Amino acid sequence: MINRHSHEAVLAVLAALAIAVLALQSAEFLTPANLMNQGRLMTEVALVALVMTFVIASGGIDLSVGSIMGLSAVLLGTFWQKMGMPLPLAMVLVLFSGALCGLFNGFIIVRFGMPPLIATLGTLALYRGLAEGISQARSVRGWPEWFAQIGQGSFAGVPVQVWILLAAMAVAVVILGYSRWGRTVYAIGSSETAARFAGLPVDAAKYAVYTASGLAASLAAIIFVSRVSTTRSDMGTGLELDVITAVVLGGTSIFGGRGTIIGTVLGLVVIQALESGLSLAGIKGDGTIVLIGVVLILTLLASTFAESRARA
Amino acid sequence: MQLAPQQAADPGVHAPVLSLRDISKSFGPVQALKDVRFDLRSGEVHALMGENGAGKSTLVKVLAGMHRPTSGTIAAGGSEVAFGSARDATAAGIAVVHQELLLFGEMTVAENVFSGRYPRSRAGMIDWGLVRRRARALLADLDCHDLDVDAKVASLSVAMRQRVEIARALNQNAKVLILDEPTAALAEKDAERLLDIVLRLRARGVGIVYVSHRMNEIFRISDRMTVLRDGQYVGTVDAAATSEADLIAMMVGRSIDQVFPKVEAQIGAPVLEVRGLSSGPLVQDATLTVRAGEIVGLAGLVGSGRTELALTLFGITPATSGTIAIDGQEVRIGSPKAARDAGIAYVPEDRGHQGLVKPMAIRENISMAVLDRLSPGGILRKGDEKRIAAEGFRRLGVRAAGIEQPVGQLSGGNQQKVVIAKWLETRPKLLILDEPTRGIDVGAKSEIHRLMGEMAQQGLAILMISSELPEVLAMSDRVLVVAEGRIAAELPRGEATPQTVGHAMTRRTGTTAHGRARP
Amino acid sequence: MTDMTIDRPDAGAPMTGALRRVLREYGHELLVALAILVLLAVVGTINPRFVSARNMTSVFSGNAYIAVAAIGMTMIIVIRQIDLSVGALIGVLATISGTIAVSGAPVWVAWAAPVICGAAISSVTGVLVAYAGIPSIVVSLGMMAILQGGLISVTGGAWISDLPPAFLLAKMKVLGLPMPLVWGVVLTSAAAVWMRMSAFGRSLYLIGGNAEAARAVGIPVRRRIVAVFAIHGAFAGLATLLFATQLQVIQSTTPANLELVIITAAVIGGVSILGGTGTVIGASLAAVLFAAIGSALIFVNVSAYWLRALIGVLILLTVLADVMRRRRETRAGGH
Repeated sequence: MINRHSHEAVLAVLAALAIAVLALQSAEFLTPANLMNQGRLMTEVALVALVMTFVIASGGIDLSVGSIMGLSAVLLGTFWQKMGMPLPLAMVLVLFSGALCGLFNGFIIVRFGMPPLIATLGTLALYRGLAEGISQARSVRGWPEWFAQIGQGSFAGVPVQVWILLAAMAVAVVILGYSRWGRTVYAIGSSETAARFAGLPVDAAKYAVYTASGLAASLAAIIFVSRVSTTRSDMGTGLELDVITAVVLGGTSIFGGRGTIIGTVLGLVVIQALESGLSLAGIKGDGTIVLIGVVLILTLLASTFAESRARA
Repeated sequence: MQLAPQQAADPGVHAPVLSLRDISKSFGPVQALKDVRFDLRSGEVHALMGENGAGKSTLVKVLAGMHRPTSGTIAAGGSEVAFGSARDATAAGIAVVHQELLLFGEMTVAENVFSGRYPRSRAGMIDWGLVRRRARALLADLDCHDLDVDAKVASLSVAMRQRVEIARALNQNAKVLILDEPTAALAEKDAERLLDIVLRLRARGVGIVYVSHRMNEIFRISDRMTVLRDGQYVGTVDAAATSEADLIAMMVGRSIDQVFPKVEAQIGAPVLEVRGLSSGPLVQDATLTVRAGEIVGLAGLVGSGRTELALTLFGITPATSGTIAIDGQEVRIGSPKAARDAGIAYVPEDRGHQGLVKPMAIRENISMAVLDRLSPGGILRKGDEKRIAAEGFRRLGVRAAGIEQPVGQLSGGNQQKVVIAKWLETRPKLLILDEPTRGIDVGAKSEIHRLMGEMAQQGLAILMISSELPEVLAMSDRVLVVAEGRIAAELPRGEATPQTVGHAMTRRTGTTAHGRARP
Repeated sequence: MTDMTIDRPDAGAPMTGALRRVLREYGHELLVALAILVLLAVVGTINPRFVSARNMTSVFSGNAYIAVAAIGMTMIIVIRQIDLSVGALIGVLATISGTIAVSGAPVWVAWAAPVICGAAISSVTGVLVAYAGIPSIVVSLGMMAILQGGLISVTGGAWISDLPPAFLLAKMKVLGLPMPLVWGVVLTSAAAVWMRMSAFGRSLYLIGGNAEAARAVGIPVRRRIVAVFAIHGAFAGLATLLFATQLQVIQSTTPANLELVIITAAVIGGVSILGGTGTVIGASLAAVLFAAIGSALIFVNVSAYWLRALIGVLILLTVLADVMRRRRETRAGGH
């Protein structure tokens, strides 16, 4: 059992170390205000990463999440301002359309047996293109005060979106770790054929994870729009990179079959700590992208090395 | 054009082209081959015989340079060689036609025949004209005038692909050609043609190692036979001086009754009743009944439709017509889940790929088919899961460190017990066992057979598919013979003999070989 | 088995036999070429200015760099890999080249540098893929982040201006034809011949078609993977030369999703993402098709913002056709 969770343990130590070093370096870091702010910043990526853990553990991948986020943001503005819908209805419709985008990914993957990588690369272009086509480079502003609360307000001292994230985390932990659906996801990721021969609902599970992935991306879009008070068609560009990095760093095997929500959360924390540490140290955002890339490759090197040793 | 060195007139015709001395090979603690000897002369067909798991495939892989022997020596053409890779074996003049053909589906026949070793023109460019002409000549030489050298290999039948691979071997000037169960997936007519090709090559002086289970083929074409049993060398005999019975005795090494203890069970009411079931070309109008406590053996050649029938009953390839009834109730089976709910369990042919999720623990594998029962409301009851896993573990006598051990680490026999435990947990009425003892050592094999007897005694209906005729004959209360997708014969235990079953297996193919009028 | 085809002897009908082979081998490429012609004809009828020499030159020569980059990408996809970092790589190479050009070094150094650096950087990806066994999709995703972030952090987003005129390759002409056009045609033809007529070029198809079988016939698969990534990097360098020398300045950003455009060109040109098929001619033609579509949208008054959605649809349809074709063929093969 210890062996099984060794990756998470190492990651937890790493996260603790990073936080300790940052706290020693800068007095501002470990203040509640900063921590809450960090939570606010990581919510959008984290929401998508939670579902991406399921997708990757099932042996798939979803590159289109950033584009679904952009499309959802644009649609939110369009439904509300251009079409004059009440904002709550627009929000529901956006969640629905995000789920629909995900369902479409699932459809071409399950029904036509297209490799998930290329299928979602195609929809990455398609959904972003739809976002650009619909928005025609116009942004929507002037959101009502109550809507801004989602991304900017607090409840009981904790940012609203962090509450949403915590709830989503709890649900994800239970489903992946303790339910038959989670077990089904792992079985599919390890051996799709064996899962099918055991009578597990393979196709339904794949539809579910990709649909949930789209849903999470559109929820992230609503929070993002609320946080920055505007919509742009290029929102969420590169989101897939941040998300996949966090998930893989968290110990989910890119080949499927292994991974935990706790690992993903720890991965997110480590990345967020590093980013904020670097920014406190005066290094700008672009430097942190380099860091994410390096961390991603090193983690994969370490885990494939560990796996090949375990197999030998 | 010369295709292979003409050695027939060579005085060295009896000198071995390939010679193995005391070859041993172990994989971790498992000894797959122990002190095996093997000689191949040029211009002979040398059959390599043995039961499943006797070590034939391992020996073939050693010859092909894919496995490095743990000890022993190999000599090719009189000098000692050490194969570090498949490439070295090829360089030494050894070519292998594997069961799963190693071809490039998206490339043309001509390019596959050359596969990476192209003739160049003076400018250093590939001479495609020559590639096509030589490929055509080679294939013509194999009596395959009907093969279009510009066709994509992916669009060819298995028989045609095999010829492409043989042509490739000849193109490499192979002195030794190893054919690993080449007729296993072929229809009778194609198998005939293949045998002709083998005889042609023999006449040309190529040394041929021929691995097959089909006795009639072996006796028709081979000059000598070498028998392996449990990884050990048993002996080499001349075909002319050996009878089929002698050979089987060498392979089995004990009387059949010892290996397959048949337990008498009370045979009850019909559990499975199938009428006119069809799905695809290999399940045609199947009608059969299996009763409680009865073991029905399903015999037939590989590719005859045995497994396909099982897959249709289990909902992987749902039936397009016909009816299935369980305990007199008609059921519709459109998915494995529906089959399970109807009381049908299937222990598949390909254990590692279809039967088990290898990286997962024994516990997770045993509970896999009953996850919904273990998780009312969706949340898995880990306590219940552990309990049923421990129960199945104990009941089937799985030998492992515990229920948390990943099944990938278990031996074949113990893996099979886990698969059976998984399906018994669904409390089935009908258990379909597809090659239940393939690749399992002798001890575990008899344990599985004993289990089958016990399950039948408890009133389970069992449908068993097996390529091992002795197993089918010894275990079954009744034998159904499948040929070309149809049930060709039904034989009660008393009438099922190697002759009657063997005859039924090939009868249909014999009559349809001349005209395939059937849609 | 009844699915054998009877091959007519070549002597009887040499022309039809050769024609059939060409159709079988280059059918997809001909289809893309046909699509270009139809597009030119239709849009040219609606708005003749679309097919004016001026517009055609700007469309084809302005996008030749995509065709050149798609050559390397074709090789990568043929061996069943992918490289998402190529867009970022071109950005980095442009800055390297421009920096050398304004430093007063000889112009050939500024031209050679991106080709050499491209090969070197891309080999790193290749080594990680071939020897560490990490899927190329994630390696190149990481590489993309490193290159993109690295470029902006180093340059701080500054542009390079005052490029010496001798450096501006894309503005030169050969025999009255714009240099990028000539390069596009020459490089595509050379690469096409190399992939068809050399043993090394052919081995890429064997690796992509069946890596295990390729190993069994003695092809050093890992070394080839690294070599192909290096060659792809060199082509990215050549593409950089055409891309970065179009204007007087070099920006520290590249067109958004450039890698996607390049991959799409290869895929729509008939390079199968499932490995083992496709030609550089198809990829280059598809790059031309895109450029023409992009320009045509403007001439028929459709917002260019829809272009990317169209590309997405084209990717999905092409891959779908490929998946379906393979299924059909396998079924025909008697399984």
